[in-house]
Amino acid sequence: MHPFTFSRTTDPATAIAAHAQDPYLAFIAGGTDLIGLMKDHAALPERLLDISGLPAMARIEALPDGGLRIGALARMSDVAADVEVRRRFPVIAESLLFAASGQLRNMASMGGNIMQRTRCTYFRDEDDLPCNKRRPGSGCAALYGLNRLHAIFGWSDDCVATNPSDVAVAFAALDANVIVQGPRGERSITFTEFHRLPGNTPERDNVLERGDLIISIEIPPRIEGRASYYLKLRDRQSYEFALVSAAAAVAMDGRRIRSARVAMGGVAHKPWRLTAAEAALPGVSLDDIEALKAAIATSFIDARPLAHNGFKVELGQRVALRALQVAGGRA
Amino acid sequence: MNTIGQPVSRVDGRLKVTGGARYTADIPIEGVVHAAIVHSTIANGRTVSIHTMAAENAPGVLAVFTHRNMPRMNPTPKPWSHLHPHGQSYLPLQDEQIHYAGQPIALVVAHTLDQAIYAGRLIKVNYEIHPAVVFGPHTTKEAVQPPRFLWPVASLVGDAEKGIATAAVKIEQTYTTADRHHNPMEPHATIAAWEPDGTLTLYDTTQHIFGTRELVSMVLGIPQEKINVIAQFLGGGFGCKGYVWPHTLLAALAAKVLNRPVQVQLTRAQLYSMVGHQPATVQTIALGATRDGKLTGIRHDSISPTAVFDNYIEYAALCPRSLWAAGEGIWTNHKIVHVNRNTPTALRAPHEAVGHFALESAMDELAYATGIDPVELRLLNDTEIDPDTGRPFSTRALRKCLTEGAARFGWNKRTPEPRSMREGRYLVGQGMAGAIYTHWRWPAKARVTVRADGSALVEAGTHDLGTGTYTVMQQVAADTLGLPLEKVTVRIGDTRLPKSHASIGSATLANAGASIMLAAKAIRDKAIQLAMTGRDALFADAARDDVIVSDGRLVFAKKNLDITYSELLARNDLSSLTGDGDYDPAAEGPKATFSFSAVFAEVHVDPEFGLVRLNRFVGAYDCGRIINPKTARSQAIGGITWGIGQALLEKSETDPAMGRFLNRNYSGYLVPTSADIPELDVLFVGDFDEEASPIGVKGLGELTSVSVAPAIANAVYHATGTRIRHLPIMVEDLL
Repeated sequence: MHPFTFSRTTDPATAIAAHAQDPYLAFIAGGTDLIGLMKDHAALPERLLDISGLPAMARIEALPDGGLRIGALARMSDVAADVEVRRRFPVIAESLLFAASGQLRNMASMGGNIMQRTRCTYFRDEDDLPCNKRRPGSGCAALYGLNRLHAIFGWSDDCVATNPSDVAVAFAALDANVIVQGPRGERSITFTEFHRLPGNTPERDNVLERGDLIISIEIPPRIEGRASYYLKLRDRQSYEFALVSAAAAVAMDGRRIRSARVAMGGVAHKPWRLTAAEAALPGVSLDDIEALKAAIATSFIDARPLAHNGFKVELGQRVALRALQVAGGRA
Repeated sequence: MNTIGQPVSRVDGRLKVTGGARYTADIPIEGVVHAAIVHSTIANGRTVSIHTMAAENAPGVLAVFTHRNMPRMNPTPKPWSHLHPHGQSYLPLQDEQIHYAGQPIALVVAHTLDQAIYAGRLIKVNYEIHPAVVFGPHTTKEAVQPPRFLWPVASLVGDAEKGIATAAVKIEQTYTTADRHHNPMEPHATIAAWEPDGTLTLYDTTQHIFGTRELVSMVLGIPQEKINVIAQFLGGGFGCKGYVWPHTLLAALAAKVLNRPVQVQLTRAQLYSMVGHQPATVQTIALGATRDGKLTGIRHDSISPTAVFDNYIEYAALCPRSLWAAGEGIWTNHKIVHVNRNTPTALRAPHEAVGHFALESAMDELAYATGIDPVELRLLNDTEIDPDTGRPFSTRALRKCLTEGAARFGWNKRTPEPRSMREGRYLVGQGMAGAIYTHWRWPAKARVTVRADGSALVEAGTHDLGTGTYTVMQQVAADTLGLPLEKVTVRIGDTRLPKSHASIGSATLANAGASIMLAAKAIRDKAIQLAMTGRDALFADAARDDVIVSDGRLVFAKKNLDITYSELLARNDLSSLTGDGDYDPAAEGPKATFSFSAVFAEVHVDPEFGLVRLNRFVGAYDCGRIINPKTARSQAIGGITWGIGQALLEKSETDPAMGRFLNRNYSGYLVPTSADIPELDVLFVGDFDEEASPIGVKGLGELTSVSVAPAIANAVYHATGTRIRHLPIMVEDLL
């Protein structure tokens, strides 16, 4: 491992200032992603600043308006087990429980979860393979290499990796907000704007700047919140990233969809919102499978599969369909 | 009390779960320094320059070795062969050639492992890069007939072609299996320590301590007597610790040059290029049969890749030589393709687990083509004579495996038509397969000592891979001596102990176990003799057979006399009694000796997602007598789990352009988790097999991973009507 120093702080302002002025400093909380990347030489911070002792950032608050505020330092396992999270937004609890392993969920923070690097096998290889995310300008070995697990939406010739976070897919579907404290004060970032598409700067996974510290994730009250569901498809049944996943949340009028929110994981560099499908779904009956399929298909017209992941186009639509059906059944 | 046949819990269990069992890399050696291997990032070419100065100047670094300054090694005999303890013939850091990605090109020694690894990353290499040659459709055309290294490469009994050409029903298909890696929990490590008198001690993660000694002796040019190899606990082996690989040689030489103990440990990723793997196969099989299901001919050809410098053969076409009778004849053959990768090696159920996927999938296709039930089809083609050699089998309880396994599974409730069984949204599929597994007979020595306090010490240079060797050997010795289990201590894993064989091929209990039984028996006989003729001759009136041993005593029941070992030794002024066991079987006996099984799988397939989940599994095994049903069952459920990985998950991906394995960690290379494993039901139906071993056992561990994959693939066909002829089976195959 690259040599690094380690220090702790309990003061957010100190953390923000340190991060803003030091490009080789990284925050560490649970460390479940960062340490692995450091071992693989995919992250080379020279200084680690442990922010897990920052005050009042591990709270999970059920807000009076029906929303939630999840502190950035709350553990995945605590959020997944929270009664109000489970009641108000089952999709959040489910997405967390399908992620990683019990041990990792006990360590990993929510802020760290959404900061997980968008990745692929080439990016993670300890031998420094051609990867623009790892070494800008070195090329993308996955584009013409093995890309079964890679993106079908929004990729560029510079990067075809997918974001691994499950709960980020749920947050994207729910239009959560990321509350960030930076050198110039606090701001709120809409979740679908938080992660980036690769374009020609795939080394940047999200829109945070130096000195930005995630304080919390806020989920506004949503009429679709309770009838929500997370479906994750993967090659093995535990401890595995999604081949394709879907977070679906719906509000119903009887058997007809009043409004729907659907986002997918495992298909793009960021959680992928099925905007076109969401526009087509209102008024469709849950019992009209063909109409549901047709609505979902509108979001897959622009799918661009690679050599080895063509199956994700069909599989993605089937997963979205099942997620909508199950979510609808919960209304 | 007899402990053989009892489900004794493993004696080293507490040690292991409390951290008391010291694995190689955990052994504290005074003054040890740590080495990290730097490996090539290209697959083919040569190093033009290796810049080591930054590494040499890095904190804590003691030395950097490359081919320029690593002492020369003696080459090992050619042609390379797997009967030899060398994993591959190419020796590390001897020249600038690069033959595979991940090949060692430098060794950094530093005070700590972290310092060594960090310094290793400071080494800059300029390569001359040649295109990588990878295994694929364009290179299988260049497959060549290899020289023999285990069994004959090809076999022909009768006229297989006639049997196929004239058959009423024919099946001919190509099946492929994937490259796989062993992935033991414990990465390979070696600690090398030289004594002032020139003795070399190697603490080595090996399934073959005497093999390490022999090979290191040869390569370093020092006598075997000057080398001790120690391996008392292994965190899994599965074949990748069965032979000597570069890191062990590098540790020994670096320690010699630096004149201090050196420890080298591979990274997880290095396990994908430095300790072998199971090569992919392309197998074409043809079956001819009568309309009523009698096989008339079998032809089985397999192609697999090997290193450019060695002729490893994955004997995938071995199994049809002896599993089923075929009226007219059986033909098998193997070819290899030389590509840029390190030498493949045995991986749990080498040869058989790969070949049975083709053979037992084809048998299922034949069952559907003839309309005969898959279990019935196998019963029809069962044989009492080994088709390959014409010899009778020593024991062959395959019929029992088939019938008792089918009964336990509830096979008679299966409706044969594909897609005919459902449960909710899931398609239910039930499939089965039979299996045969080579039984190995190897020489082994052991020593047992009964001491003045009546306790016994068992000493044998064998190994515990995590399989329960300590436990079963204790049982064998205790029962033979008539001692309670807790009176017996087992010492293994040290070349200063009596010489035993490699713990590979599921052979340890049958062979090393036999040597321990013989050693214990020698003591028992000496003790009985002493009781009959020694001082005071307590049992003077006894005939030899009148005396039994039980509960720490020699008992002459007719006269109601008994004496403990301890009293007997004291009475004869002896501090101990020692017995030597020298088990020296002929490699081949008069009978054909194999283990057998029949396995049954039920899968649930989500038809919309193409997702296969194993729902239940029954395995019926004939592996002779069972010494310990608990450790045997543990071996079986481990082997089945291994087979589930082969069927549904495991695949070492090769980047076609770079010619390198890509998914070199537990995140990218999927092995089953507990969530993937349903209840596994295990039956042992075999009987004592005297031909296989004096203690009646046949190989078990690897057998249990054989034919899991075809049973699952056959179940997938039954569920979906889609025949998958490659492994692993993925969701996209069934969408």
